[in-house]
Amino acid sequence: MAELGRAALVVTLGLCVYATVAGSYAAARRRRRLAGSARNALIAAFGSTVVAAGVLAAGFLRSDFSLTYVAQHSNRTLGRAYKLSAFWGGQEGSLLLWLLILTGYAALAVWLNRNRARDLVVWVAPVLAGIAVGFAFLLVAVASPFDVQAAPADGAGLNPSLQNPYMMAHPPFLYLGYVGLAVPFAFAMGALLSGRTDERWIVATRRWTLVAWTALGVGQLLGAHWAYVEVGWGGYYAWDPVENAALMPFLAATAFLHSVMIQEKRGMLKVWNVVLVALAFCLSIFGTFLTRSGVVNSIHSFSESNIGPWFLAFIFVAVAFATTLIVWRLPLLRSKTRLESLVSREAVFLYNNLLLVALCLTILWGVAWPILSEAVRGTTVVVGRPYYDFFLRIFGLPLLLLMGIGPMIAWRRASLRGLGRTFLWPFLISVAVGLVLLWRGAGSSVPGLIAYTFSAFVLAAIALEFIRGTRARKALASESWPGALFSLIGRNRRRYGGYIVHVAIVFLAIGIAGSAYDSVVEGKLAPGQSLRVAGYSVLYQRLVERDTPHAAEVRAQLLVSRDGKVLGPLEAGKNSFKIAGPDPQVSSEVGIRTNYLTGEDLFVIPEQINADGSVYFRIFVKPLVNLIWLAGFVFLFGSIIALWPDAREQRRLAVRYEEAGGTVRGT
Amino acid sequence: MARKRSPARLIIALSIAAVLAIFLLYTSIAGGGTPSVKPSQLGGQTGTVALVGRVVGAPTGDAHAGGLRFRLRDVQNPKGTTVPVVYTGTVPDLFATGRDIVVEGKLENGTFVATRDSMVTKCPSKYSATKPAGQ
Repeated sequence: MAELGRAALVVTLGLCVYATVAGSYAAARRRRRLAGSARNALIAAFGSTVVAAGVLAAGFLRSDFSLTYVAQHSNRTLGRAYKLSAFWGGQEGSLLLWLLILTGYAALAVWLNRNRARDLVVWVAPVLAGIAVGFAFLLVAVASPFDVQAAPADGAGLNPSLQNPYMMAHPPFLYLGYVGLAVPFAFAMGALLSGRTDERWIVATRRWTLVAWTALGVGQLLGAHWAYVEVGWGGYYAWDPVENAALMPFLAATAFLHSVMIQEKRGMLKVWNVVLVALAFCLSIFGTFLTRSGVVNSIHSFSESNIGPWFLAFIFVAVAFATTLIVWRLPLLRSKTRLESLVSREAVFLYNNLLLVALCLTILWGVAWPILSEAVRGTTVVVGRPYYDFFLRIFGLPLLLLMGIGPMIAWRRASLRGLGRTFLWPFLISVAVGLVLLWRGAGSSVPGLIAYTFSAFVLAAIALEFIRGTRARKALASESWPGALFSLIGRNRRRYGGYIVHVAIVFLAIGIAGSAYDSVVEGKLAPGQSLRVAGYSVLYQRLVERDTPHAAEVRAQLLVSRDGKVLGPLEAGKNSFKIAGPDPQVSSEVGIRTNYLTGEDLFVIPEQINADGSVYFRIFVKPLVNLIWLAGFVFLFGSIIALWPDAREQRRLAVRYEEAGGTVRGT
Repeated sequence: MARKRSPARLIIALSIAAVLAIFLLYTSIAGGGTPSVKPSQLGGQTGTVALVGRVVGAPTGDAHAGGLRFRLRDVQNPKGTTVPVVYTGTVPDLFATGRDIVVEGKLENGTFVATRDSMVTKCPSKYSATKPAGQ
């Protein structure tokens, strides 16, 4: 079986090399049949990658430990679902997943666009194939998942902290996001190569970018929630390099999603857009590199590996390729129109972009700082949480405010009267909310208070948009209120989907800002003793031990009450997993009690369980933290609305691009 | 028609200047981060550093009462110098003899006094997202 897997990867590599070389030649010389052949080779490459992935998946399901990779990441007692998720538990499998998703996306992209914007798409296939060559080469020559050995009796197993539904979903979502950014990148490069630098590449890739971006966002929130409930230190994001690696392309892609609207509507920012999409793509490769190379000290310490230099070379090629193309095509990237006023939607979108990119680059700077300082000063210097928190506030708070202004302000030039009409109520409401919060004691954290005031402003502005739109729709079509709302959203999916995503980001901001108001208490308790924090009282009743097939569990049984009223029991403890191996397989199991009405969590960490039955607890009260997870659902919902196929939009675009002399349609 | 300077350029130039100013402000206030050193390099350090090393010998004491005591050596050098560490606060699940950890703190009279809750463990053997303590 291993031979089949290895052969399939060699075939993939061959097909991708062919698609790159033949595709480029065909595009440059306008050979249509050869271009078709290159496209088919790319689609076939997906087929052979599926075969390779199938072989590895079968190896996991059959517990075929003659495959070294399977033996390292699985064992016999592992559940079927976790056997499959062990597929991406290590480096080689992760690379294979990358290649699988990349060739899948590539095949779909060239197939869906086969009859559209041909002069552009002929260049897309070789660019995508070129990226795939890099990964296929790594899998064939450097890090093969199909190395064989004399089969041991059992495998090493999957780390217990990864035996969790979140860990099954989190990596694939991130990869769907990372890899998905390759498609808009390839279209942008295709536009430059073909000289078709109008906005067709943007229209053709809008949904691709949205899908990748949504997957990246959902993937990160899944990871954050996993860290919150499973890793259990009371937080969800630690500004670790590997976490930042996913955040940076997300920020760049967010900037891109906004700035392309300016190019679509006003023909501006053409250079900026290709730079952004190249940045987002290169950061996604950089993210994979960071995760896999061990070059930066990270709490996500993956096994150090030999693929670091290869990835560095890959990033270098990608950056050089994109830079060369952009410089070469600069004359074609002139704006059709110019910015007329600093108070207009274009201008606000520009501010938003600058803030997002500034945030992204300061994070990049923080991640790269240990490497740079080592090179320059000889000592490795790390920057920590204060650095990142500082810049999140400096750049994030204005971004939050702009979210309430950008979508509502007029294009080209906003008048004072128009501004007053749009923003008077949101302004008054936010000031009122700010004052009430100040009176209730929220002034203990100034950034928190600012965040909440801005959040109120954005929510009010969005609510007003929905109310005005619905009222107009109702007057126009004499529908019922819900009917009018429904058709309002249905007829403007991009706009209202976007608003809903903005609501999600506001929820996220509220949840994150809530951490400024956390309360914490800690102490050693003997059975019968209790700790008090923020109105809660946590009584430690007794320690119980349980034995399950997978782990020996110790649990402290607690009784939670608030303001004298008993709320109910809670458990927190530790699991000792019954897995042989070099790692101590103990994990803390935190106790979380959620108040679904206020979004507040009581979060109990059993820090240390002593032999005499006493337990050292650390207990947090985390107001509003659940809004972060709620934001995930709202985010997904809004994205799906913005993504949903819209026949009206397709017709509008078709007309527009026939006028422009092309036949592209949004995909 | 005389081409007017685009305000977009002005905005970009101004924002780059603003970002640089903020940056300088930040680094001058907060300093440039924490140096990361190995036990063998600890000798000349006087300020707060992040110490990266492997735990040797059996840890003693209680991290929540009087402090957890253990020794660290360079990860790469099994025969190298070791440094005693005293640590209080959260101990990650993965902390054990033979494990690679990072602690922040200061050398005081030959003992590395770790900052409360600053310990982070690394898992050298395989893919494993581990717990950052006390954040």
